[in-house]
Amino acid sequence: MYIVAVIPAYNEESRVGGVVRCVKKYVREVIVVDDGSRDATAEMARKEGARVICHKENSGAGAATMTGLEAARRLGANVVVTLDADEQHDVGDIPALLGPIERGEADIVFANRFGRKNHIPFIRRLFNGLGNIVTFMATGRWIADSQCGFKAFGEKALAEIQLRMSGFEFCTEIVRETARYRWRIGEVPIKVVYSEYTLAKGQSFAHGVRTACKILLRSFLR
Amino acid sequence: MQLTPYQILAPLVSFIAILYAWNLWFRQKKNLWEVILWILFWGAVAGIALFPNILTYVQFVTGIKSQVNAILVTSIGILFFMMFYLIIRLEELEQRQTRMVRKLALREAGLGDEKDFEDKVDH
Repeated sequence: MYIVAVIPAYNEESRVGGVVRCVKKYVREVIVVDDGSRDATAEMARKEGARVICHKENSGAGAATMTGLEAARRLGANVVVTLDADEQHDVGDIPALLGPIERGEADIVFANRFGRKNHIPFIRRLFNGLGNIVTFMATGRWIADSQCGFKAFGEKALAEIQLRMSGFEFCTEIVRETARYRWRIGEVPIKVVYSEYTLAKGQSFAHGVRTACKILLRSFLR
Repeated sequence: MQLTPYQILAPLVSFIAILYAWNLWFRQKKNLWEVILWILFWGAVAGIALFPNILTYVQFVTGIKSQVNAILVTSIGILFFMMFYLIIRLEELEQRQTRMVRKLALREAGLGDEKDFEDKVDH
């Protein structure tokens, strides 16, 4: 199986190198999509051996993820793992995430940060809960951790996915795609590490509300 | 039962909108959940047009009785429609820009394709 890791990154020069170094052990190729960073994110990723694709303009997490998925398709990948560049995810969970795809049980696997004992701040739990509710209202599908960037795409999902939302709404759009194309879903509990750095980079409440409005409006008017 | 022009037009528009939603579903551009939401909305528009008495409760709650208020409510509705339209247009422009940024990035990475992103964009 040709497994590729896709890491969307924006101003992550201090973290992205470490993530690439660790992920390389589990996949054949690492693609870092530098989403118009103003720092040395691209150089750090390239130094660690990643294939770097640079957006000239900052286009959002969804746009960067879709660029990475498209690049993986063109490279002939069968399976893609997407993960954040801020060391929030434990790359040791990659084999578990790939398990349902390798066994032919799922087309897409969602990581679940709430499936096992993790120290997650209350405000994060609240935001994610609200994100899950909005996602359910927009798509009719309940995913325990719909807003997590750590996912694995099998062959069918990788071939069919076509994300149009540029920002963080893309997580909900992926759930919508599961309903649209009737992908089989897997969910795997993972470990998550929240640091002051990752918490500071998270979405604000206002941004979350804006994202939720966009999702609902778009799902209705599409 | 004597029907006003609105009572004829609204159910007709609703019927076309519902047919359009089913069509999008069959072409896999909308999922079933979205189609159901769409049908509920347009069904309500048609229902209220044909049986305005449904609104007695709303009238009771909001107190909309005079013609001036009706004009105001209609104007707000038109403004909302224009706002939604502008939002959709803005999103389309944003998507177009994203596709250009992506196309350029992939080409520079040596992964360009002749039929780059003739993708299936919903309009």
